[in-house]
Amino acid sequence: MRPGSLRAACAAILRRDLLLAWRRRGDIALPVLYALIVTTLFPFALGPDTALLARVAGGVVLVTVLLAMLLAFDALFRQDLEDGSLEQLMLAPQPLALMLGMKILAHWLSTALPLIIVAPVLASMLHLPGEAIAVLVLALLLATPLLSLLGAVLVALTAGTRRSGMLLALMLLPLCVPVVIFAAGAVSAAQTGLPWIAPVAWLAAALALMLVLAPLACAAALRIAIDA
Amino acid sequence: MDSPHRYWENGTDRDSEANRMVSPPPVLFEARALLFLRQDEPVFGPLDFHLDRGEILLVEGDNGSGKTTLLRVIAGLLRADGGSMHLDGQILDHDSAQGRLLLLAHQLGLKGDLSPLENLRVAVGLHGCREHITPRDALRNVGLQGYENEPVRQLSAGQKKRAALARLLLLPAELWLLDEPFANLDREGIALVNRVIERHAEEGGAALVTSHGAVTFLHGQPRRLRLAS
Repeated sequence: MRPGSLRAACAAILRRDLLLAWRRRGDIALPVLYALIVTTLFPFALGPDTALLARVAGGVVLVTVLLAMLLAFDALFRQDLEDGSLEQLMLAPQPLALMLGMKILAHWLSTALPLIIVAPVLASMLHLPGEAIAVLVLALLLATPLLSLLGAVLVALTAGTRRSGMLLALMLLPLCVPVVIFAAGAVSAAQTGLPWIAPVAWLAAALALMLVLAPLACAAALRIAIDA
Repeated sequence: MDSPHRYWENGTDRDSEANRMVSPPPVLFEARALLFLRQDEPVFGPLDFHLDRGEILLVEGDNGSGKTTLLRVIAGLLRADGGSMHLDGQILDHDSAQGRLLLLAHQLGLKGDLSPLENLRVAVGLHGCREHITPRDALRNVGLQGYENEPVRQLSAGQKKRAALARLLLLPAELWLLDEPFANLDREGIALVNRVIERHAEEGGAALVTSHGAVTFLHGQPRRLRLAS
């Protein structure tokens, strides 16, 4: 891999962001801990009715995981803006959108992937049946990167503003809704023995679209944020 | 230059410089009537100046006179409101010229949780590397041996600056845009910056160096570009 080539640049950014995430492991643990606490509290609040828990399990785990991801969004570009590494990224002879795509990938790997790994445990704690858990994991594997990409665009748009956290949550809410509907639809279809492939295909289609568009939108938004 | 705005005065003997560099063409960068507005008030300009290969141009001006803005416009982080910029006689297109320009800004672009060595490796991955030099060599050259693996966050302001200077040694860029490169540095650090800039000029590169006017630590008599506030 020649230094300065596209592959080397992608690897450098990915490696840097994963290393930074590893150096701040505590920050990774926080969303996982949050998801664990919320799902543990549900049976206490709803009562030990196994059938009821199994019926809400898919939705509870999905919403908890997506909300836990929200906790980590704010930090996606903030540090890079503050320490000037975003400027350096813009001055590098590489397509900015692709580099930001790598950053989003690193962010997904360090925040969403741990959540997806614990999701089956959380779901089985709520008595979700085995085949539905498999569909839940599949739905999460498509829904979380989709949410990461949508969130990244909004983080980039609000990057210049102070206290962007509140604004971000408000803007992300309407975009979350379809993601939750399709992902939860797939899980409940699997639970009732219906074909679940259609909502999963919708998630995959939206993911494919955002994979292309979101990094470009991020790049444009951050160029404006740097300008200000 | 027969422009009505003569913001610079001649300080070096440019003829001898031009004779030494036969090819490629001596003028590396040229700005024509470059103008930048903020809320319809000019921050600087219209400015006319040029920069030959092997030349250092000192950009002087008081605080708020637009020195940093000028560098950011040249780097392509801000869009100029008028005039044009040329690199090698061609209109400067920032998408294709990225990598030929290198900016050392107030925010150094170093990650506090990474070591200087790790920071430099990221920069090399993005920009590529000059021949015959490794990140470790570059750190030794700027006097950071022994600090290669310390987190940047734990270094002093001057040491951070040195780590950022190591990036200049490593990356293959022709036009350096240095914003207050002498800030935070001790006497030895100042000599180091001078050495680094002079060697870059000897190799045919060029540098725009800003200074807030009171003192400049640049060696010799560089050409000056004075920005009025």
